[in-house]
Amino acid sequence: MKDLTVRLDALDPQAGAALRVIAYFDDLVAHGAGLQAIVRAAAVLTAGPAALVDDARRVRIRVDGDGHAGKPSDAPDPAWPSVRLGSGDAVLWLEYSGPTRPVDAMVLERAAAAAAAVLDRTRGRRANPPQGPASVETLLDPATGPEARATAARRLKLPESGQLRAVALHGGDALVHGDPDGAADALPEGARAGIGPAVPVEDLPASWTAARLALRLTAEGTPGDPGPRVVHADTAGGLMLLAQTVGPDTPRIQDVVALERAAQAAPWMLAALDALANATSLRAAATALRVHHSTLQERAAHAERLLGWPVNDAPGRLRLHLALVLRRLHRAPI
Amino acid sequence: MTATDPRPGPPPPFDPELAPALRVINEFLAPGAFGDAGAVAMMRQAVPNAGQPANETFARGGAFEVEERTVPGPAGAPDISLLICRPAAALDPTPAIYHMHGGGMVVGDNRTGLSEILDLVKELETAVVSVEYRLAPETPHPGPVEDCYAGLVWTAEHAAELGIDPERIIVGGASAGGGLAAALALLARDRGGPALFGQLLMCPMLDDRNDTPSARQMAGLGVWDRSSNAGGWSALLGDARGTDGVSPYAAPARAADLSGLPPAYIDVGSAETFRDEDTAYAGRIWQAGGQAELHVWPGGFHGFDLMVPQAVISQDARAARTRWLRRLLAA
Repeated sequence: MKDLTVRLDALDPQAGAALRVIAYFDDLVAHGAGLQAIVRAAAVLTAGPAALVDDARRVRIRVDGDGHAGKPSDAPDPAWPSVRLGSGDAVLWLEYSGPTRPVDAMVLERAAAAAAAVLDRTRGRRANPPQGPASVETLLDPATGPEARATAARRLKLPESGQLRAVALHGGDALVHGDPDGAADALPEGARAGIGPAVPVEDLPASWTAARLALRLTAEGTPGDPGPRVVHADTAGGLMLLAQTVGPDTPRIQDVVALERAAQAAPWMLAALDALANATSLRAAATALRVHHSTLQERAAHAERLLGWPVNDAPGRLRLHLALVLRRLHRAPI
Repeated sequence: MTATDPRPGPPPPFDPELAPALRVINEFLAPGAFGDAGAVAMMRQAVPNAGQPANETFARGGAFEVEERTVPGPAGAPDISLLICRPAAALDPTPAIYHMHGGGMVVGDNRTGLSEILDLVKELETAVVSVEYRLAPETPHPGPVEDCYAGLVWTAEHAAELGIDPERIIVGGASAGGGLAAALALLARDRGGPALFGQLLMCPMLDDRNDTPSARQMAGLGVWDRSSNAGGWSALLGDARGTDGVSPYAAPARAADLSGLPPAYIDVGSAETFRDEDTAYAGRIWQAGGQAELHVWPGGFHGFDLMVPQAVISQDARAARTRWLRRLLAA
């Protein structure tokens, strides 16, 4: 019966071998084989030890040619055939340093594809903290498979069906909110954030992209950097298109140069212009700034001289508004 | 099983590691390969005995002394050959496994599967005696089982000469060999023959009726399906297969009484023809007040641990046998 042992060296070494390797790993995947079974297949088919190491997911598997599992060495010999899995740090190798065998590359390729699918299915994107940044990151990563995404959503106690929003916090952190209407309410107090559109769980990467663009439209909300601390992608309209295209390296248009020059003229300038651009009237802007409306009127006249265009009519206010937004986008890292 | 049984469900899935290997195995060993006599002749050519390991292989670098002995067969029948492997370092009489090979009663010889038995006993200072019995259909029942019994009696009677402890002989085998081992346990009990210490029944072939739910469920699948099984039993029993007159020494599942047998080890895959007859045999031993250890390996096809020894489930199946044997011999 030992003659029937499945060894690739007993198989047709030519064209048939590639098809057998493909069928072998396809069968493994179809039957839900785990990582060790995949590494074992690579070892058995090449009649020598094979190993899979993914430090980020704490996976360290080595199987010898007889199928016995153990722990791999720290790093593979550079002479051994090896392959990286996807874009990550996981590496699969064969402990073999003889002359090149065509089947090795085929086995490595198929085994790597099978192992990557299992890692995605069973181990998520990171070594498994029960909650926390890794799960959020998994949800927001477009490379995450549906299973890993569902697992991450469960870990975060988010509803698997229903609408979710990605939230980009100033400083680089990310949140996912399960209550689409309450996303802004649930922000950490005083947070500066961009809030993505409400989407099903599988579209969270797109919501995240929009949230990060919205974050670029936010400001500190101080006299030196006036503007909204929270921006909803849903309501930013055409400004999202600007956020997508304008960055620190984009050449400044004349209006922005004029705005910067005006900002140098007085400490109150930017706050006054921001209020004028966003309020429905000069009187409302004065209330928002807590200055007397005659004071603001003087300041507006001063600003108009520095800017070179009127700010008391609708076209002028739009021009001002756009200049303020562009200034923020020039200052916001992409 | 009767025709009124509900139809069995779909076949249980094969183990993930066994499934791809089975695809390769099925390319040269179809599930129904032993379905008729013509196919048996072809299978004998396809699995030539010339490919079997030589004595030096079994010596394991001097760990075993390997000797072939020709001993008397059953009354009026030719002599039989025993391949005897004794632990070379043993000073005292050792336990022994009296081994019958598999092959559906129709193929194989006493070297078939012997390596795996030597693996099993290698740390247990145990001898292995493997009997060459005549094959069906040339030799129908009771020829094969009587050959085996004659070799067992000779071994027990010559235990001192062989360095074997006659009170610690365990009969064992895989597939047809497992069925023969179960039959020897019945024969030894009923004839007052050698007192056996255990019976190691690996995926044993026990029931000529070939109509359990698993037999029907796995038809056309795996290794040794219902059609091959019919071919094997027909070769052994001819037209008597499945009739009331079949002897329990041919098909141990036919035995009305399973009491008074040595401790049994029975294993089988969940995805093979023999699953239900083997689990039923264990159940009947318990019901009769006997001792049995039963392992059903999920997704295992017939002989999976022999054909795909690297799979983790095969490693576990072999380790479980070793643990049983160690426990038995420590008693």
